[in-house]
Order: sequence, then C-alpha cells, then structure tokens
Amino acid sequence: MPAIVARQERCPLCGAGFDAEGQGCRPSCPLASGCRVICCPSCGYSFPQETGWAGRLKGWLERHREERR
Amino acid sequence: MNPPEVAAAPRTLILVGNPNVGKSVLFGALTGRYVTVSNYPGTTVEVTRGSAEIGGLRWQVLDTPGTNNLLPMSEDEQVTRDILLREPEYVCLQVCDAKNLRRGLLLASQLAEAGVPFALALNMADEAAARGFRIDAERLAGALGVDVVPTVAVQRSGLPQLQARIPAARASSFRPCYDEAIESALSELEPLIPEGRLSRRSLGLMLLSGDESIHPWIASRVSDAGRERIEEVRRTLASRYPESLRFVVARQRLGAVDRLHDQVVTRGKVSSGSAFARKLGAWATDPVKGIPILLLVLAVAYLFVGVFGAKTAVDFLENTIFYDRVVPWTEALLRFLVPAGPVQDFLVGPPGRAFRETDGFIIGRYGLVSMGLAYGMAIVLPIVATFFLAFSVLEDSGYLPRLAVMVNRVFKWMGLNGKAVLPMVLGLGCDTMATMTARIMETRKERVIVTLLLALGVPCSAQIAVIFAMLQGLSFAASIWFTAVIVLVLFLVGWLAARVIPGRGSDFVLELPPLRVPQFSNVIVKTLARMEWYLREALPLFVLGTLILWGLDRTHLLVLVERAAAPVVVGILQLPEQSASAFILGFLRRDYAAAGLFQIYQPYMSTGTMTRIMEIQVTVALVTVTLFIPCIANFLMILKERGWRTGLAISAFVLPFAVGVGATVNLLMRRYY
Repeated sequence: MPAIVARQERCPLCGAGFDAEGQGCRPSCPLASGCRVICCPSCGYSFPQETGWAGRLKGWLERHREERR
Repeated sequence: MNPPEVAAAPRTLILVGNPNVGKSVLFGALTGRYVTVSNYPGTTVEVTRGSAEIGGLRWQVLDTPGTNNLLPMSEDEQVTRDILLREPEYVCLQVCDAKNLRRGLLLASQLAEAGVPFALALNMADEAAARGFRIDAERLAGALGVDVVPTVAVQRSGLPQLQARIPAARASSFRPCYDEAIESALSELEPLIPEGRLSRRSLGLMLLSGDESIHPWIASRVSDAGRERIEEVRRTLASRYPESLRFVVARQRLGAVDRLHDQVVTRGKVSSGSAFARKLGAWATDPVKGIPILLLVLAVAYLFVGVFGAKTAVDFLENTIFYDRVVPWTEALLRFLVPAGPVQDFLVGPPGRAFRETDGFIIGRYGLVSMGLAYGMAIVLPIVATFFLAFSVLEDSGYLPRLAVMVNRVFKWMGLNGKAVLPMVLGLGCDTMATMTARIMETRKERVIVTLLLALGVPCSAQIAVIFAMLQGLSFAASIWFTAVIVLVLFLVGWLAARVIPGRGSDFVLELPPLRVPQFSNVIVKTLARMEWYLREALPLFVLGTLILWGLDRTHLLVLVERAAAPVVVGILQLPEQSASAFILGFLRRDYAAAGLFQIYQPYMSTGTMTRIMEIQVTVALVTVTLFIPCIANFLMILKERGWRTGLAISAFVLPFAVGVGATVNLLMRRYY
C-alpha cells in the first residue's frame, strides 16, 4: 500500500491545500509499495510527499523558524 | 449516521466551495452529529444532509462535493451543479479558502451570475493573515453585494456571525462582463431558456461553453426548434474565436475576478516587489516576450544540469569516488573476507584481472556494485539531483504554470493544451515520474498522447548527459540532423495521435500562483523528497536490471540475443555489429544503450578521426535509441497508469517506429549529408 501520511498538503503547482489521505498511488501499481507520490485533487499535479529525510528536514526548519520568531 | 434525527425543515442551506476549504468542518459545526449520508441519485457521489438551528429556525443543511466550477469537469462537480439546479427553495453558504481567494472568487462569480442567494465565509482567515494576506472583507462584501464573514472553522471562530448572516443571504449584484459578441449571444439565448433555480444568463453561459451535462435538463424543457436555435447561436459565436468558447468565457470571467481580487487583497510582505513580479509574470506568459525569459531559464538550467551535474559531478563521482575508491575497496574487502576459491571468484572474479574483464557477481563487467550501483549512484544520481534542484526552483518560483500558458498554442496543435509542458519538462529529469504526472491532463486522450510522447522522444536526464557527450564529438550539421529529427518526430506523432486516438481534448484552465523568489528551504526539501523517491523507486530497478544482464551474460544468452538482433542493427540500421549489445541494453534503459555506443565511438571522437560514415552511424544510433521506451521502470509505469492494453499498444508502436525512423534517417543522411 502507498506510504502516504494523512496530513494537509499544499500543491506546489496550483497552491491548493488538500488532505493527502486517499490521494496516493493506486495499490494495483507494481511499484506502489512505499510510494509517496501524491496527486493534487485540484489540478492533478503529482509530487512526492515530503516525509522521511525531507520531512525531518522540513520539521527541523519549521521548528527553527518558530524559535526565531 | 442516524436518519430519523435529521428533521425535515422548510428552509434549506447548501454548502458549496472548492475542494479542501474546510466545508465539512463548517458543516459539522453547524449541524452537530445528526447527519445522513447518501449517494446522489444515479451517481456514486456522496451527499451529506443534516439539520441545524439558525436564527431560532430549523434548517436542512446539505454538504456538496467540492467544486471549482459550475461548468462540471467531473462527476463530483456535476452533482454540486445539479443540486443547485434542481433543489427547490434554498440559500447557499460558499466556503472559501482565504489564502487562495482567487479560486474562491471564481466560484463566487458563478454563483453571482446564477442569481443564487448566498453568503461568503472566508475560512482559514488566521492562516491567510499569518501568510501576510490582508483581505478587505467589507470592500469585498460591497463589491459582491453579499455578506462576507471571516472564519476559522476548526476553532469555530466567526461561526455566530456567520449564522446571523445566513437568513439574510441574497443574490449578488456582481456580474462579470464579457465581450460584445458573447453578451449579444447571451441576449439571444436568454429568451429561449426556461426560468429555473439558476438564472437564464448562467444557463446560457453553460450552453455557450458547450456543457453537455446540462442538455438533459434543457431537452425536457425546450422545444426541438429552440434547441436548434441555441446550437446555431453557439456555433456562430464559436467560429469567431480560435480557442474553444469554454476557454474564452473562463478567461474573460477570470479577468473580472482578478480585478476584484486585486481591489480587496493586499499582501504585506511582498507588496514592494509585487508590481515588478506581476509584470514579469505577464511577460512570462506572453508568446513573444516570454521567449527570451524561456531561453534564459533553459540556458541557466543547461549550465547547472548539463554542465555542472552531467559533467563535473558525474566525473567526480564516477571516476574519483566509484572507480578509484568504492570498486577497488569493495573488491579488496571481499577478497579479505572470502577465502580464495570458487566463491571469491564468483563474487569478484579471478584475482589480477581488471573488473571489466571478469563476470563477478559483485565486482565485474555486470557486477551489482561495479555496474548497478555505479550507474545508479555515480552517473544518474548527480544528474537527477541537479535536475530536481533546478525543477524545484522553477516550481517554487511560480514559473512553470506561466510556461504552460505560453506554450498552450503549440500544444493545441498536438491535441493537448499548455499543461502538457509540465510532464514534458519533468520528463527531461525522469520519464517515469513524468508519466505519473500525465494525470494532470484532464482527459484520457490527452494522457495517452502525453505518455506516448514521453516514451517516444523526451530523453531523461541520464540519457541527455550521454547525448550531450556524443554530440560534442559530432559535426554541427550532424547535431542539427539529430535534433531536427527528434523535434519533427515529436510534433508529427503528436499531431497524428491527436487525430487517430479517439476521445476529446480539454480546455486549459490553470490558476497562476504569484511569481516569487524561491525559498531556499522549500527548494531543498522538495529536492530531497524527489531524490528520496528516486532512491526508493528507481535504484532497485538499476540493481534488478544489472542482475538480469549478469544472468544473461553468465548463461551466454546475451550473445544469442545480440546475434538475434544483428539483422536489425546491422542489416536495417547499417551499424557496426558490436553496437547490437548496446541496443539490447537499451531495452533495459536507453541511457545504457547510449553509454554503450559512446564507448564504441569515443576513441575516434577524442582523436578527431571520425569519418562521414561514422558520423551517420552515431546520428542514426542516437535517433533510434532516443525513440526507444526510456527504461523498464517507465514501461511498468506506463502499464500501471494507462492500463495493460494501452501500455502494450504504446510499446508495440514505439519499438518498430524507432527502428523505422532510424532506418529512414540512415537512408536520408547517406544521400544528403
């Protein structure tokens, strides 16, 4: 099954905010196991969800930004 | 879900809004827990009903599927439009994302045109304020002629004010104006259209835009003669514009919405540079002024990806890191750990021989580390990483959607629209990911054409690197032959596919986010996410591919396959016999094939001793390999995204077509080059 994390995402193309749950690859895909590519319900653009290393870096950057405020 | 608790009420409130704007949260806050969920008649789309007490009176509340448009593009959107068309008395509450007001206003303008009484909730007002958006709600209310209430649905903030305004919901006075021809067509249509829940003007615009989903409703209320007249007016109007009427109407409506948006929204942090950014943004979409911007973007991208990524970084990682350190160190480690004998020979080949001359499983000609990892990590990864970095910069800057607008006309010719440029550009990085991004296209026909063009003629970053290296060893004229053939094939196949593949195209409606300086942290996170994806999805395929090659080599099947391919490679394409093995590798990854060809001709290129025939052979080989299916991962992705039938049909077309074009180029070049 796709390894999509259910959370709010923002499409880098059209800027629409959406819930990532259910927006991942179809499980019938031979490559879908662990796939983190999600599809914007507004414009259809596909992009990988920022989880894993990217997610950790994002979290760290956000915490850093909060502290600076 | 408790049906008896949902009381029938004389007043109906319908919640409408774009997808993911917090509509359902607001619905929950208004109705509490007593709701019924049922499919809208004749569809699988769920509609939630509940009841609420608003202003001391009982209301029935309907939560509709998210929609961007009253001109439906999907079943969900059609259900929402049909509810507004068929429900008896009601008022609407439009929920919009305050951070993305333009999208919300596009829907509000259609509710206004439809004469639907509504109030507007500017939801997520806190997030909009945190991002520097200042929305003048009073001015917006004045311009629309309806109540506008900022809310934060998850905190229930603004809810009492909203409840107080719902009973006073009224039709908006805002009317987007269209050009004279459209207005005149509308005034001809309006008397022919029956009075309904949606205004005649709104239904007229739907009919002019060619919305077929409204036809059953019209057919049951308008005579045959009336319908014929409507179609005649539509056809006459359509003949005035090169684009479809749906696009023309949407563009003019968007213009009115943009003007309203600019009157009521200011953005604190970016206001100083926004005038220039807006001007630059407009140039970037212009078919003439946009060209120098595009050339500049391409030149910078080439210097970064083509020169820094594909040459400097690859050279360092491949030679300095992999072949000078990783491969000999791994070999030494295995020879140290495994005692000399058949097992050691199996893993790293017999001692004292160069790894390219052995058939070791880990270190050898087709070894997992010396070939699989070296290709995946040292040759392809730096190119992919630099490409994704460049792509993330373009993505974060807001340039990509503008590029799509600029090239819309060119892609129309191929039965596509400007959006297709996005998977095409992404295909220059990785065709597998780009094939997935073909979902961005609205119709099946468009998705099939994009997939076909990606598989056929868009070289991925790994292949581009080898192509660049080979073109540098060719004359300028041969490079022009190669480029012209690939571009011509793309256009010709696109044009033919648009006419042969059944189905319809779609109109191009893409919201343009503001042009901005990319945020460093965003770019890094996006690039990292894509590289992670590449390592998880593509790298195992490199290893698998190498395993297959190793197996074929060990069982001597590779020689047999090469012999079987010789009639095509030597007979039809008139290439040297040893290039057959490069073509076999091309079925696995076409950059393998290009790299194999590079090895054959490199000695002549570096000494400047290429003959005319060799130049023709390299051009023919490059054309044929470029037109192959990019790689096994891309093939699997095509099967997954387009289905087995279409996927196999694409492959069955691409392979003989690539050889056919290669043979034709060979004949033409031998005569005219």
